[in-house]
Amino acid sequence: MVSGALLLVLSIGSIPAWAATWYVKSSKTPMTAEPSARSKNLGYLSAGQPVNVLGTEGKFMKVSVGGKEGYVFKFKLTQTAPEGGGGGGGLDALMGDQKMAAAETSSGSSIRGLSPISESYGKGKGISPAHINSVKQMESLSIPESQLDQFQAEGGLGPYAN
Amino acid sequence: MKKIVIAFMSLGITLGLVTASWSINFGDILNDTLKQPPKEEPAPKPAPAKEAPATNSQSGGGGGLIGILEGTGAVDKKTSNILRGAGNLVKSLQPIGWEEERAIGGSLALEVFSRFGGQYKNEKLQRYISLVGLSVAGVSDRADIPYHFAILNSDTPNAFAAPGGYIFVSSGLLRLVRNEAELAGVLGHEVAHVAKRHALKTIERSKTLQGFSQLTTSILDSDPGVLENIVKEMSETLFTKGLDQGLEFEADKFGMEYAYRVGYFPGGLRDFMKVLNKAQGSGSALFSTHPTPRARYGKLNVQFGHYADASKAPTLAKRYSSNTQGQL
Repeated sequence: MVSGALLLVLSIGSIPAWAATWYVKSSKTPMTAEPSARSKNLGYLSAGQPVNVLGTEGKFMKVSVGGKEGYVFKFKLTQTAPEGGGGGGGLDALMGDQKMAAAETSSGSSIRGLSPISESYGKGKGISPAHINSVKQMESLSIPESQLDQFQAEGGLGPYAN
Repeated sequence: MKKIVIAFMSLGITLGLVTASWSINFGDILNDTLKQPPKEEPAPKPAPAKEAPATNSQSGGGGGLIGILEGTGAVDKKTSNILRGAGNLVKSLQPIGWEEERAIGGSLALEVFSRFGGQYKNEKLQRYISLVGLSVAGVSDRADIPYHFAILNSDTPNAFAAPGGYIFVSSGLLRLVRNEAELAGVLGHEVAHVAKRHALKTIERSKTLQGFSQLTTSILDSDPGVLENIVKEMSETLFTKGLDQGLEFEADKFGMEYAYRVGYFPGGLRDFMKVLNKAQGSGSALFSTHPTPRARYGKLNVQFGHYADASKAPTLAKRYSSNTQGQL
């Protein structure tokens, strides 16, 4: 009887009793109240932030961070700790919406410009200024997070996928 | 004889540790695919702390295990020199840091524009390609570096990835692509090259960097010849000789996997191989530097069979068409 009940619990399986530490892959990763990208946004996690994984529901993982529970798109999390200590911990890493709005710049990148070493290489090799400008242009092309989110929502992709 | 046996046991332990750690990583790579949720690759490494340029110290220093072996008479001077040489070879495998990767990648990106038709200037189209590419990169195993996407003004179907997250597709390739899932697969393949550091690992093992224990920006800055040699070798590898074929298959594997993670129909890259097969004879570097489209299709098709829910995922053909029509 006891073993049967245990088997039942294990076979349901979506929310195991154990918790494991996973890490956030990239900055500005949203944590939502429900396993849906359209549910209330609880804030944003930073790259390398450790989270306690409580279970999996569809494409989302239920996590606990700094005493708060919520859901994160599972492919935004990794089991491997970042080298160098990761992105801090606790509530500091869970940014509120207002803070996020101020922080929002572009997706997946910070705008930095061509490395001076590369530019010097190009000039030394006689590569035309037009090509040097092309690399600078591709680096400076800014895609706002909101635009990427809308793109994925319209296509049913990422956290919006069925 | 006994001395030599001890010496080689010591060397074996050293090399064995290196091999063992590689084996573990490779196991992770295999486990990473086709599991729910997939096991991930290690997160990106921060750039190593800057140090003064290292030199080949084959003759210097007598410490360490080899020094002890020599001091105790376990090995003679000739043998210890051989072991030190092997030790330096191991040192040259130090991973290249982020700032150095960025400098190398930026330089290589300049070469790509210079050799393959320059930039196809259409910001609307570039934004669309970037949205697909960033979606794929965002679920990759190296999501916390910046990725940049550009279109090459070339009718020849081509796609390239340079270290540092610089990714290129030609206008000719975009004309062959039929839907967003295929594009996601192609970009996923290129993102995988960056995420798995394929070009960097290749150069780290090459003769070009032999003698360096660590490559730093100060070396690249102060000795342009070093960067020139690196870019020259990488250009030959990426544009002419091709990476190791196993790395290309690995990029295919993760390209399909990343597209799947985003939610695209994962068969996009596989199906594009049929299209690519018909484009043979176009003179594209894709054919001279990659396994044949037929071989790639075969492996991708096997992998595709493991995605049980694949048929429900969208290809987004209409969106691709509406974003590219009249733009190419």
